[in-house]
Amino acid sequence: MRRSLMLTLMTWSVLSVPGLAFAAEGGTGGWVGPFAVIAAGFGMGIASGLCGLAQGRATAGAVDAIARQPGAAARIQTAMIIGLALIESLALYVFVIAAILLFVQPVK
Amino acid sequence: MGAIEHPPILTIPGVPDQVLYTWVAMLALIVLSFAATRHLALVPRGVQNMMEMVLEQFMALLDDVIGQDGRRFLPLVATLGLFILTANLLGLIPGLMAPTGNLNTTVACALIVFITYHVIGVRKVGLLPYLRHFAGPLLDAELFPNRAVDFAFKLVLVPLYFVIEVVSHLARPLSLALRLFGNMAGGHILLAVMFLLTAGMIGWAFSGSLGAIGLGLPGSLLLIAFTSWFLFPLKLLVALLQAFIFVMLTMVYIAGAVQEVEHH
Repeated sequence: MRRSLMLTLMTWSVLSVPGLAFAAEGGTGGWVGPFAVIAAGFGMGIASGLCGLAQGRATAGAVDAIARQPGAAARIQTAMIIGLALIESLALYVFVIAAILLFVQPVK
Repeated sequence: MGAIEHPPILTIPGVPDQVLYTWVAMLALIVLSFAATRHLALVPRGVQNMMEMVLEQFMALLDDVIGQDGRRFLPLVATLGLFILTANLLGLIPGLMAPTGNLNTTVACALIVFITYHVIGVRKVGLLPYLRHFAGPLLDAELFPNRAVDFAFKLVLVPLYFVIEVVSHLARPLSLALRLFGNMAGGHILLAVMFLLTAGMIGWAFSGSLGAIGLGLPGSLLLIAFTSWFLFPLKLLVALLQAFIFVMLTMVYIAGAVQEVEHH
Protein backbone atom coordinates (compact mmCIF):
# COMPACT_ATOMS: atom_id res chain seq x y z
CA MET A 1 0.00 0.00 0.00
CA ARG A 2 2.62 2.46 1.10
CA ARG A 3 4.99 1.28 -1.62
CA SER A 4 2.43 1.79 -4.37
CA LEU A 5 1.68 5.25 -3.00
CA MET A 6 5.38 6.09 -3.07
CA LEU A 7 5.63 4.74 -6.61
CA THR A 8 2.71 6.85 -7.74
CA LEU A 9 4.16 9.94 -6.13
CA MET A 10 7.57 9.32 -7.64
CA THR A 11 6.13 8.74 -11.12
CA TRP A 12 4.04 11.86 -10.76
CA SER A 13 7.00 13.95 -9.67
CA VAL A 14 9.23 12.61 -12.45
CA LEU A 15 6.57 13.34 -15.04
CA SER A 16 5.61 16.75 -13.72
CA VAL A 17 8.94 18.25 -12.66
CA PRO A 18 10.37 18.77 -16.17
CA GLY A 19 7.13 20.43 -17.16
CA LEU A 20 7.27 22.71 -14.13
CA ALA A 21 10.93 23.48 -14.63
CA PHE A 22 10.50 24.44 -18.26
CA ALA A 23 7.18 26.19 -17.76
CA ALA A 24 9.05 28.68 -15.58
CA GLU A 25 11.23 29.68 -18.55
CA GLY A 26 8.25 30.95 -20.46
CA GLY A 27 7.68 28.14 -22.92
CA THR A 28 10.89 28.34 -24.96
CA GLY A 29 12.26 24.82 -24.49
CA GLY A 30 9.33 22.43 -24.19
CA TRP A 31 9.41 19.18 -22.31
CA VAL A 32 7.44 17.35 -25.01
CA GLY A 33 10.50 17.09 -27.26
CA PRO A 34 12.45 14.42 -25.31
CA PHE A 35 9.28 12.41 -24.75
CA ALA A 36 8.56 12.65 -28.48
CA VAL A 37 11.97 11.11 -29.23
CA ILE A 38 11.30 8.27 -26.77
CA ALA A 39 7.82 7.76 -28.21
CA ALA A 40 9.21 7.66 -31.75
CA GLY A 41 11.75 5.00 -30.82
CA PHE A 42 9.37 2.83 -28.81
CA GLY A 43 6.57 3.18 -31.35
CA MET A 44 8.83 2.16 -34.21
CA GLY A 45 10.12 -0.80 -32.18
CA ILE A 46 6.64 -2.06 -31.34
CA ALA A 47 5.39 -1.52 -34.88
CA SER A 48 8.32 -3.29 -36.56
CA GLY A 49 8.19 -6.14 -34.09
CA LEU A 50 4.51 -6.84 -34.64
CA CYS A 51 4.91 -6.26 -38.39
CA GLY A 52 7.68 -8.85 -38.41
CA LEU A 53 5.46 -11.35 -36.59
CA ALA A 54 2.61 -10.75 -39.02
CA GLN A 55 4.80 -10.98 -42.10
CA GLY A 56 6.36 -14.15 -40.76
CA ARG A 57 2.92 -15.72 -40.34
CA ALA A 58 1.90 -14.65 -43.84
CA THR A 59 5.11 -15.96 -45.40
CA ALA A 60 4.86 -19.22 -43.46
CA GLY A 61 1.34 -19.73 -44.79
CA ALA A 62 2.43 -18.97 -48.34
CA VAL A 63 5.44 -21.30 -48.17
CA ASP A 64 3.20 -24.01 -46.76
CA ALA A 65 0.78 -23.55 -49.62
CA ILE A 66 3.56 -23.59 -52.23
CA ALA A 67 4.96 -26.79 -50.73
CA ARG A 68 1.55 -28.42 -51.05
CA GLN A 69 0.80 -27.03 -54.51
CA PRO A 70 4.01 -26.20 -56.38
CA GLY A 71 1.98 -25.66 -59.54
CA ALA A 72 0.21 -22.64 -58.06
CA ALA A 73 3.43 -21.03 -56.86
CA ALA A 74 3.17 -17.95 -59.10
CA ARG A 75 -0.33 -16.98 -58.01
CA ILE A 76 0.37 -17.68 -54.34
CA GLN A 77 3.50 -15.54 -54.55
CA THR A 78 1.56 -12.63 -56.04
CA ALA A 79 -1.10 -12.84 -53.36
CA MET A 80 1.59 -13.10 -50.68
CA ILE A 81 3.42 -10.02 -51.95
CA ILE A 82 0.20 -7.97 -51.96
CA GLY A 83 -0.56 -9.16 -48.45
CA LEU A 84 2.95 -8.35 -47.28
CA ALA A 85 2.64 -4.86 -48.76
CA LEU A 86 -0.62 -4.26 -46.92
CA ILE A 87 0.86 -5.51 -43.63
CA GLU A 88 4.01 -3.49 -44.13
CA SER A 89 2.09 -0.29 -44.72
CA LEU A 90 0.85 -0.43 -41.12
CA ALA A 91 4.41 -0.29 -39.86
CA LEU A 92 5.15 2.46 -42.36
CA TYR A 93 2.35 4.62 -40.91
CA VAL A 94 4.22 4.44 -37.60
CA PHE A 95 7.47 5.21 -39.40
CA VAL A 96 5.92 8.35 -40.89
CA ILE A 97 4.62 9.39 -37.46
CA ALA A 98 8.07 8.73 -35.95
CA ALA A 99 9.74 10.77 -38.68
CA ILE A 100 7.26 13.61 -38.04
CA LEU A 101 7.99 13.45 -34.31
CA LEU A 102 11.75 13.46 -34.89
CA PHE A 103 12.21 15.87 -37.78
CA VAL A 104 9.13 18.06 -38.13
CA GLN A 105 8.35 18.32 -34.38
CA PRO A 106 4.85 19.80 -34.50
CA VAL A 107 4.80 20.07 -30.68
CA LYS A 108 8.01 21.34 -29.17
CA MET B 1 13.92 15.89 -43.27
CA GLY B 2 17.37 17.01 -44.28
CA ALA B 3 18.69 16.53 -40.75
CA ILE B 4 20.81 13.45 -41.49
CA GLU B 5 20.81 12.96 -45.24
CA HIS B 6 23.22 14.69 -47.53
CA PRO B 7 21.36 16.86 -50.03
CA PRO B 8 21.75 15.77 -53.66
CA ILE B 9 24.88 17.01 -55.36
CA LEU B 10 23.28 18.41 -58.49
CA THR B 11 20.67 21.10 -57.79
CA ILE B 12 19.20 24.03 -59.65
CA PRO B 13 18.39 27.03 -57.43
CA GLY B 14 14.68 27.73 -57.35
CA VAL B 15 13.71 24.23 -58.48
CA PRO B 16 12.79 21.77 -55.71
CA ASP B 17 15.01 18.69 -55.68
CA GLN B 18 12.23 16.18 -56.20
CA VAL B 19 11.00 18.09 -59.29
CA LEU B 20 14.52 18.20 -60.74
CA TYR B 21 15.03 14.47 -60.23
CA THR B 22 11.56 13.75 -61.61
CA TRP B 23 12.80 15.48 -64.75
CA VAL B 24 15.92 13.27 -64.70
CA ALA B 25 13.74 10.15 -64.48
CA MET B 26 11.53 11.46 -67.31
CA LEU B 27 14.57 12.18 -69.43
CA ALA B 28 15.95 8.67 -68.88
CA LEU B 29 12.62 7.13 -69.86
CA ILE B 30 12.26 9.35 -72.93
CA VAL B 31 15.77 8.45 -74.13
CA LEU B 32 15.06 4.74 -73.54
CA SER B 33 11.75 4.88 -75.42
CA PHE B 34 13.33 6.81 -78.28
CA ALA B 35 16.19 4.33 -78.54
CA ALA B 36 13.74 1.44 -78.45
CA THR B 37 11.46 2.74 -81.21
CA ARG B 38 14.01 4.37 -83.53
CA HIS B 39 14.64 1.28 -85.65
CA LEU B 40 11.59 -0.87 -85.11
CA ALA B 41 12.28 -4.37 -86.35
CA LEU B 42 10.13 -7.49 -86.57
CA VAL B 43 12.90 -9.42 -84.86
CA PRO B 44 13.82 -7.07 -82.01
CA ARG B 45 17.40 -6.50 -80.93
CA GLY B 46 19.07 -4.53 -78.18
CA VAL B 47 17.01 -1.83 -76.47
CA GLN B 48 13.84 -2.68 -78.36
CA ASN B 49 14.14 -6.27 -77.19
CA MET B 50 14.54 -5.22 -73.58
CA MET B 51 11.62 -2.78 -73.61
CA GLU B 52 9.39 -5.36 -75.31
CA MET B 53 10.24 -7.86 -72.61
CA VAL B 54 9.36 -5.35 -69.90
CA LEU B 55 6.07 -4.42 -71.54
CA GLU B 56 5.20 -8.08 -72.05
CA GLN B 57 5.60 -8.58 -68.32
CA PHE B 58 3.15 -5.74 -67.71
CA MET B 59 0.72 -7.25 -70.24
CA ALA B 60 0.94 -10.67 -68.59
CA LEU B 61 0.17 -9.07 -65.22
CA LEU B 62 -2.78 -7.15 -66.70
CA ASP B 63 -4.18 -10.31 -68.28
CA ASP B 64 -3.74 -12.12 -65.01
CA VAL B 65 -5.34 -9.54 -62.72
CA ILE B 66 -7.93 -7.63 -64.74
CA GLY B 67 -8.76 -10.14 -67.46
CA GLN B 68 -9.55 -9.76 -71.13
CA ASP B 69 -10.03 -6.01 -71.44
CA GLY B 70 -7.11 -5.31 -69.12
CA ARG B 71 -4.77 -4.35 -71.96
CA ARG B 72 -6.67 -1.07 -72.41
CA PHE B 73 -4.99 0.12 -69.22
CA LEU B 74 -1.47 -0.78 -70.35
CA PRO B 75 -0.43 2.86 -71.03
CA LEU B 76 -1.48 4.01 -67.54
CA VAL B 77 -0.09 1.05 -65.63
CA ALA B 78 3.17 0.71 -67.56
CA THR B 79 3.87 4.45 -67.40
CA LEU B 80 3.32 4.53 -63.65
CA GLY B 81 5.38 1.38 -63.15
CA LEU B 82 8.31 2.46 -65.30
CA PHE B 83 8.36 5.95 -63.81
CA ILE B 84 8.30 4.69 -60.23
CA LEU B 85 10.93 2.04 -60.99
CA THR B 86 13.26 4.59 -62.60
CA ALA B 87 12.67 7.05 -59.77
CA ASN B 88 13.39 4.39 -57.14
CA LEU B 89 16.56 3.29 -58.90
CA LEU B 90 17.78 6.92 -59.11
CA GLY B 91 17.95 6.92 -55.33
CA LEU B 92 20.52 4.11 -55.40
CA ILE B 93 23.08 6.23 -57.24
CA PRO B 94 25.19 8.11 -54.67
CA GLY B 95 24.76 11.85 -54.97
CA LEU B 96 21.35 11.67 -56.60
CA MET B 97 18.00 11.42 -54.84
CA ALA B 98 14.89 9.34 -55.39
CA PRO B 99 11.94 11.59 -56.33
CA THR B 100 9.70 8.93 -54.74
CA GLY B 101 11.44 9.59 -51.42
CA ASN B 102 9.42 12.79 -51.26
CA LEU B 103 5.78 12.76 -50.27
CA ASN B 104 4.74 15.16 -53.07
CA THR B 105 5.67 12.74 -55.87
CA THR B 106 4.04 9.70 -54.31
CA VAL B 107 0.84 11.57 -53.44
CA ALA B 108 0.65 12.75 -57.05
CA CYS B 109 0.94 9.17 -58.33
CA ALA B 110 -1.57 7.86 -55.80
CA LEU B 111 -4.10 10.59 -56.64
CA ILE B 112 -3.78 9.76 -60.35
CA VAL B 113 -4.60 6.13 -59.55
CA PHE B 114 -7.46 7.09 -57.19
CA ILE B 115 -9.21 9.39 -59.67
CA THR B 116 -8.57 7.10 -62.65
CA TYR B 117 -10.08 3.95 -61.22
CA HIS B 118 -13.21 5.80 -60.16
CA VAL B 119 -13.51 7.36 -63.62
CA ILE B 120 -13.05 3.91 -65.20
CA GLY B 121 -15.76 2.46 -62.98
CA VAL B 122 -18.20 5.30 -63.67
CA ARG B 123 -17.59 5.15 -67.40
CA LYS B 124 -18.15 1.41 -67.40
CA VAL B 125 -21.60 1.38 -65.76
CA GLY B 126 -22.72 4.97 -65.22
CA LEU B 127 -22.74 7.07 -62.10
CA LEU B 128 -25.73 5.73 -60.18
CA PRO B 129 -25.00 1.99 -60.54
CA TYR B 130 -21.40 2.71 -59.59
CA LEU B 131 -22.50 4.52 -56.45
CA ARG B 132 -24.93 1.70 -55.78
CA HIS B 133 -22.16 -0.84 -55.47
CA PHE B 134 -20.72 1.20 -52.62
CA ALA B 135 -23.75 0.06 -50.63
CA GLY B 136 -22.45 -3.45 -50.95
CA PRO B 137 -24.36 -6.66 -51.41
CA LEU B 138 -26.98 -5.63 -48.85
CA LEU B 139 -29.30 -3.91 -51.31
CA ASP B 140 -29.99 -7.07 -53.30
CA ALA B 141 -29.95 -9.53 -50.41
CA GLU B 142 -33.08 -10.58 -48.61
CA LEU B 143 -32.23 -10.32 -44.94
CA PHE B 144 -35.64 -11.18 -43.45
CA PRO B 145 -38.78 -12.76 -44.90
CA ASN B 146 -40.90 -9.98 -43.40
CA ARG B 147 -40.69 -7.05 -45.80
CA ALA B 148 -41.17 -4.33 -43.19
CA VAL B 149 -38.42 -5.71 -40.94
CA ASP B 150 -36.20 -6.18 -43.98
CA PHE B 151 -36.70 -2.55 -45.01
CA ALA B 152 -36.05 -1.26 -41.49
CA PHE B 153 -32.80 -3.21 -41.17
CA LYS B 154 -31.62 -2.04 -44.56
CA LEU B 155 -32.43 1.55 -43.63
CA VAL B 156 -29.95 1.23 -40.76
CA LEU B 157 -27.31 -1.00 -42.34
CA VAL B 158 -26.97 0.44 -45.83
CA PRO B 159 -25.87 3.96 -44.76
CA LEU B 160 -23.42 2.36 -42.32
CA TYR B 161 -22.01 0.14 -45.05
CA PHE B 162 -21.82 3.10 -47.42
CA VAL B 163 -19.80 5.18 -44.94
CA ILE B 164 -17.41 2.31 -44.22
CA GLU B 165 -16.91 1.66 -47.93
CA VAL B 166 -16.21 5.35 -48.64
CA VAL B 167 -13.64 5.49 -45.84
CA SER B 168 -11.94 2.34 -47.11
CA HIS B 169 -11.75 3.85 -50.59
CA LEU B 170 -10.29 7.06 -49.17
CA ALA B 171 -7.65 5.05 -47.32
CA ARG B 172 -6.39 3.53 -50.56
CA PRO B 173 -4.51 6.56 -51.98
CA LEU B 174 -3.24 7.33 -48.47
CA SER B 175 -1.71 3.89 -48.05
CA LEU B 176 -0.40 3.83 -51.65
CA ALA B 177 1.39 7.15 -51.20
CA LEU B 178 2.66 6.49 -47.68
CA ARG B 179 3.92 2.98 -48.50
CA LEU B 180 6.08 4.13 -51.40
CA PHE B 181 7.27 7.24 -49.56
CA GLY B 182 7.97 5.38 -46.32
CA ASN B 183 9.99 2.66 -48.00
CA MET B 184 12.10 5.07 -50.02
CA ALA B 185 12.64 7.66 -47.28
CA GLY B 186 13.21 4.98 -44.65
CA GLY B 187 15.86 3.26 -46.76
CA HIS B 188 17.51 6.61 -47.38
CA ILE B 189 17.63 7.50 -43.69
CA LEU B 190 18.92 4.02 -42.84
CA LEU B 191 21.76 4.35 -45.36
CA ALA B 192 22.57 7.85 -44.07
CA VAL B 193 22.75 6.56 -40.48
CA MET B 194 24.97 3.66 -41.55
CA PHE B 195 27.33 6.06 -43.33
CA LEU B 196 27.45 8.27 -40.23
CA LEU B 197 28.29 5.25 -38.06
CA THR B 198 30.95 4.08 -40.51
CA ALA B 199 32.53 7.52 -40.62
CA GLY B 200 32.59 7.69 -36.82
CA MET B 201 34.10 4.21 -36.62
CA ILE B 202 36.83 5.04 -39.16
CA GLY B 203 37.60 8.26 -37.30
CA TRP B 204 37.91 6.26 -34.09
CA ALA B 205 40.23 3.75 -35.78
CA PHE B 206 42.60 6.57 -36.75
CA SER B 207 42.46 8.27 -33.36
CA GLY B 208 45.82 6.81 -32.35
CA SER B 209 45.38 4.54 -29.36
CA LEU B 210 46.06 0.84 -29.79
CA GLY B 211 42.66 -0.31 -28.52
CA ALA B 212 40.86 2.01 -30.92
CA ILE B 213 42.83 0.59 -33.84
CA GLY B 214 42.21 -2.99 -32.71
CA LEU B 215 38.45 -2.48 -32.35
CA GLY B 216 37.78 0.32 -34.82
CA LEU B 217 39.45 -1.22 -37.86
CA PRO B 218 37.49 -4.52 -37.85
CA GLY B 219 34.40 -2.59 -36.83
CA SER B 220 34.59 -0.18 -39.74
CA LEU B 221 35.37 -3.00 -42.16
CA LEU B 222 32.33 -4.87 -40.82
CA LEU B 223 30.10 -1.83 -41.24
CA ILE B 224 31.34 -1.22 -44.79
CA ALA B 225 30.79 -4.87 -45.70
CA PHE B 226 27.30 -4.84 -44.13
CA THR B 227 26.32 -1.67 -45.97
CA SER B 228 27.64 -2.64 -49.38
CA TRP B 229 26.80 -6.35 -49.37
CA PHE B 230 23.52 -6.37 -47.46
CA LEU B 231 21.87 -2.95 -47.24
CA PHE B 232 22.55 -1.88 -50.80
CA PRO B 233 21.18 -5.09 -52.41
CA LEU B 234 18.25 -4.82 -49.98
CA LYS B 235 17.52 -1.30 -51.25
CA LEU B 236 17.72 -2.58 -54.82
CA LEU B 237 15.19 -5.29 -53.96
CA VAL B 238 12.93 -2.77 -52.20
CA ALA B 239 13.08 -0.43 -55.21
CA LEU B 240 11.95 -3.20 -57.56
CA LEU B 241 9.39 -4.59 -55.12
CA GLN B 242 7.76 -1.25 -54.34
CA ALA B 243 7.33 -0.43 -58.03
CA PHE B 244 5.80 -3.88 -58.52
CA ILE B 245 3.48 -3.47 -55.54
CA PHE B 246 2.31 -0.03 -56.66
CA VAL B 247 1.51 -1.38 -60.12
CA MET B 248 -0.10 -4.52 -58.70
CA LEU B 249 -2.38 -2.56 -56.35
CA THR B 250 -3.29 -0.16 -59.15
CA MET B 251 -4.40 -3.14 -61.23
CA VAL B 252 -6.29 -4.66 -58.31
CA TYR B 253 -8.16 -1.38 -57.74
CA ILE B 254 -9.02 -1.04 -61.44
CA ALA B 255 -10.14 -4.67 -61.50
CA GLY B 256 -12.31 -3.97 -58.46
CA ALA B 257 -13.94 -0.98 -60.12
CA VAL B 258 -14.53 -2.87 -63.37
CA GLN B 259 -15.54 -6.30 -62.11
CA GLU B 260 -17.42 -5.74 -58.86
CA VAL B 261 -19.98 -3.78 -60.78
CA GLU B 262 -20.46 -6.47 -63.39
CA HIS B 263 -22.04 -9.17 -61.27
CA HIS B 264 -24.66 -6.91 -59.74
